[in-house]
Amino acid sequence: MKRRNLLKFAVLFAAVAISPAHADALADLNKAGVIKIAVPQDFPPFGSAGPDLKPVGYDIDVAKLIATKLGVKLELVPVGSANRVPFLQTNKVDLVISSMGKNAEREKVIDFSDAYAPFFNGVFGPANVMVTKVEQLAGKTVGVTRGSVEDIELSKIAPADASIKRYEDNNGTISAFLSGQTQLIATGNVIAAAIFARNPPKKPETKFLIKNSPCFIGLNKNEPALLAKVNDILAAAKKDGSLSAISQKWLGAALPADL
Amino acid sequence: MAYRFDFGAVFDYTPVLLKGIVVTTELIVFGALAGVAVGIACAWARTQGPRALRAPVTAYVELIRNTPFLIQLFFIFFGLPALGVSLSEIQAACLAMALNLGAYSSEIIRAGIVATHRGQFEAGASLAMSRMQVFRHVILTPALARIWPALSSQIVIVMLGSAVCSQISVEDVSFAAAFIQSRNFRAFEGYIVATLIYLAMALILRQLLRMLGRHWFGRSAR
Amino acid sequence: MMSFSLWDIVSALLLTARWTVLLSLVAFAGGGALGLLVLMARTSRLSGLRRAAWVFIELFQGTPLLMQLFLAFFGLSLVGIEVPAWLAAGATLILWSAAFLSEIWRGCVEAIPRGQWESSASLAMGYMQQMRHVVLPQAARIAVAPTVGFAVQIVKGTAVTSIIGFTELSKAATIITNATFNPFLVYGIAALIYFALCWPLSRLSLRLERKLNAPHRA
Repeated sequence: MKRRNLLKFAVLFAAVAISPAHADALADLNKAGVIKIAVPQDFPPFGSAGPDLKPVGYDIDVAKLIATKLGVKLELVPVGSANRVPFLQTNKVDLVISSMGKNAEREKVIDFSDAYAPFFNGVFGPANVMVTKVEQLAGKTVGVTRGSVEDIELSKIAPADASIKRYEDNNGTISAFLSGQTQLIATGNVIAAAIFARNPPKKPETKFLIKNSPCFIGLNKNEPALLAKVNDILAAAKKDGSLSAISQKWLGAALPADL
Repeated sequence: MAYRFDFGAVFDYTPVLLKGIVVTTELIVFGALAGVAVGIACAWARTQGPRALRAPVTAYVELIRNTPFLIQLFFIFFGLPALGVSLSEIQAACLAMALNLGAYSSEIIRAGIVATHRGQFEAGASLAMSRMQVFRHVILTPALARIWPALSSQIVIVMLGSAVCSQISVEDVSFAAAFIQSRNFRAFEGYIVATLIYLAMALILRQLLRMLGRHWFGRSAR
Repeated sequence: MMSFSLWDIVSALLLTARWTVLLSLVAFAGGGALGLLVLMARTSRLSGLRRAAWVFIELFQGTPLLMQLFLAFFGLSLVGIEVPAWLAAGATLILWSAAFLSEIWRGCVEAIPRGQWESSASLAMGYMQQMRHVVLPQAARIAVAPTVGFAVQIVKGTAVTSIIGFTELSKAATIITNATFNPFLVYGIAALIYFALCWPLSRLSLRLERKLNAPHRA
């Protein structure tokens, strides 16, 4: 058994593919019959791990929806926040559906679809930490995931003596908050709600909101066919209620009308 | 689809890189000093110390040497708060490095002590030296001279291993590279620069330790 | 919804530990094979080969494994080579192991007394014959213990691959910690599993050192 695995490993090793220049990702993935989509695994309810360590969540359901409508197989690729854009840039995945917000730096290197989920960034913490506005972060520790919209926005508005701790991925950020290493956590409102619902040692209550930053699907630049198709699928899903059903399942509310 | 390299984008963040170098230096200076001190104490405990100490010290050494540094770091940073011990990330990283180097260096130093000829102990005693004096001058110093190259090697290895401390948000060199990548997506350039910085630091550290060895132990240490 | 019992935690960790074992075996086998080639280059008569081997060893011994993994994972993709996490992890660990193993073995070859070379030369043996019949068999005896000792370093090195997303034991521990809010327990169990993998190798290395190296110790 071990020898067979070794052999498989060796054969796969030898077959390192040199990817051709991508003229059209949509045509390529249709030909291959499979779409690779990056999803989070450490960010409930958008993506987290079940007892079998397989990802489940809002983003996973949207990924399944898109794969079904495209008529191809779905390959889920769990990624951390820091890896989302590099994964796309290096063609490890065709799409990124990972509660990603749109901002100027990201728009320079990738393209975004229409919005598919609502998302508010904010700062959260236990009841005994008295903070209601960003100025009151002075002298406090806030955990945030490196490279996330919360990181970038908070870094712009936080006072100079606020201590912002940046972690490699959401696992680290959440772990740090729960073990009391940071007093506060900057993340999405629904993520804080999901953590709260699990009755953790430190309860993340809302202190203040930073930004309304809905979730967009990320794709590589210069892929007009794929972008148009993804937007079409999203528009149809909004119209026939399937996207709202996903929102209801994972966020406990229907999709806001202005999304 | 050729990728256009842009190292300038990395050097826009030079202050972050410099801070990273400072933090990595702090980590290894503390880690090396505390680690070697722990190593000497443990080596003494296992060769000269009371019998009661031998089992716990051996357990500590074997546990550290047979588990990954990353897990030790996570355990100290995320796990200890459950026991009421909450350390900041830099404290946790320094502690983890000291404990890690302590276990490895205790084995290296112990090997050096064990290689001391029995006659040396007796000669020291015959000169009316106290046990502590015998240990310090007759046993430890020659042992350190003997194993200095191996110990220096281990210190450099632990310095390179400190790169994973960025996982608990310690702002070292690898954190700097990841931070830069999170701002301008220059992953490849950032990590190349970070790797070259580590290489330079490793070479400098090795040279420094070699010079220290020569200064303390004379020509007997290479 | 997503509640983990103690058994869930232990079984999930044990199941992912098999990837740790597989990666370690691949790194050991590949690193050993490559390490032999690097050793021959490093001790070769041709100065160009010697220098190339020296540069390889200095690079992989003088930089953090974490940086090597990041460069393999992100860097290779940029020049067009598709690199999934397991491939980046495997390839990097093979190169890294090869650098260290070749140096360990070089030390063992150089520990063979000059007299062995001279006496076999006086029997009209060429370089290859000297290596094959006299030097390497003796060097191999000395090499077994530190090589097994390095296998422990390889197993511990696989933990770093979790950072580029390879799902082995450390990554599983991180994921489960966040699902259960119990880092003390989860990382504690992960540490015990690593210990169970590494300690027997460490003891074996110690026993081999005593059995095979007795004639060579001071």
